[in-house]
Amino acid sequence: MPAETHVGRTPLGPDEVLTLVRERLAAILEIEEDRVTLDARFADDLDADSLALIELVEELEEELGERTVGFRVDDEDLADLHTVREAVDYIVVRLAAADGATS
Amino acid sequence: MAGPPPTVAVDAMGGDRAPREIVAGALTAAEHLDVHVLLVGRIEELHPLLPDPLPSRVEIRDARDVIAMDDEPVSAVRKQRDSSILVCARAVRDGDADATVSAGNTGAITAAAVLRMKRFRGVPSPAIAVPIPVPGDHPQVLVDAGAVVAPSAERLVQFARMGAAYASARYGIDAPTIGLLSNGEEAGKGDELRKHTHELLLEEPGFVGNVEGRDFMHAGRADVIVTDGFTGNVALKSLEGALRSLASLVFDVLDATPEARAASKVVLPKLLEAAEIYDPEVTGGAVLLGVGGVCVISHGSSSGRAIENAVRVAAECVESDVVARMQEAVSRAG
Repeated sequence: MPAETHVGRTPLGPDEVLTLVRERLAAILEIEEDRVTLDARFADDLDADSLALIELVEELEEELGERTVGFRVDDEDLADLHTVREAVDYIVVRLAAADGATS
Repeated sequence: MAGPPPTVAVDAMGGDRAPREIVAGALTAAEHLDVHVLLVGRIEELHPLLPDPLPSRVEIRDARDVIAMDDEPVSAVRKQRDSSILVCARAVRDGDADATVSAGNTGAITAAAVLRMKRFRGVPSPAIAVPIPVPGDHPQVLVDAGAVVAPSAERLVQFARMGAAYASARYGIDAPTIGLLSNGEEAGKGDELRKHTHELLLEEPGFVGNVEGRDFMHAGRADVIVTDGFTGNVALKSLEGALRSLASLVFDVLDATPEARAASKVVLPKLLEAAEIYDPEVTGGAVLLGVGGVCVISHGSSSGRAIENAVRVAAECVESDVVARMQEAVSRAG
């Protein structure tokens, strides 16, 4: 049984996280969503600079923080996220950790 | 009917002479101008600098963090969320202020503006507009003075559109002329970026072709001078250096002989009065183009006088609806 979040919603899985990342990143970079593939590299393929990634992180923290108390991206971890896949995997793990802490 | 006076959020902790000079300038602005001032910074450092009771047009907002001039900008705004720079930008986003002024870390101010005020749709990152004084005329607007080091030709066209809208709103120029900074007036001059940009700008109203470095500070050449942030910053600093050197030369000559010193008693007051337009303390600072709020960047060594003028510029930008006019120029062009 999934752990309870503070508003009783079920935690997001990898597909939903990808959808969210794709939607938000495409809006920030003003590109087509289908360019945001799992293998896309933020800098080399999507031309996303560090400020664009911070915009993404802040939007995800706001959106996901409403569902899962305590969800936050550690600043130290940001430098290690180079692709969409790495970001999605990271977020799923962090959501599970935050979810476990609040259940 | 005139609305309420604009509220300007002033970053009290930004700049080499913060908070003392910033607070002094903000207080003077609130006293002399039709503005409200929201002073943002560490409250315990601000209190000793403020009169009691606080003037009715001045408010204080606590911000615990201070981003240093040499902090890496993007990382600093991420880590120091309660910094005075971010709190100022947030005040504009939340409608508590109409504009912000900071003499702090330029990169951090830009990042905070992007994160809190948001970029215009279609504008990947903002540019910096700096007024270049022109004797006997309104200033020229230099875009970009350092924000986007390696833009594309399309971005330079965007700078031109925003710069023209800014010049029109700020200085009341009906149809601003636009020049592309290059190493020669002929269309074929310059590197590939300049040549491509020239082709694109031919479609823009007001484009007068290439201009050269010597066309700065001259009336009638171009109201808006467009270039990349790298070149713009080098050009700006070159002008500042040349003016400083020239001023030093004049003072040396006027102090060289007893006759010159006698003459200087007559000449110097007039010279200083005429030269005031070149004083960066008077111009009020640079303005960020392409974000959804008025953001004035004052130079790092700003005195109280510079901050007062920066607040004045911020208020004028609000009153002339600069942001909406730039946004319209960008969206109209598609």
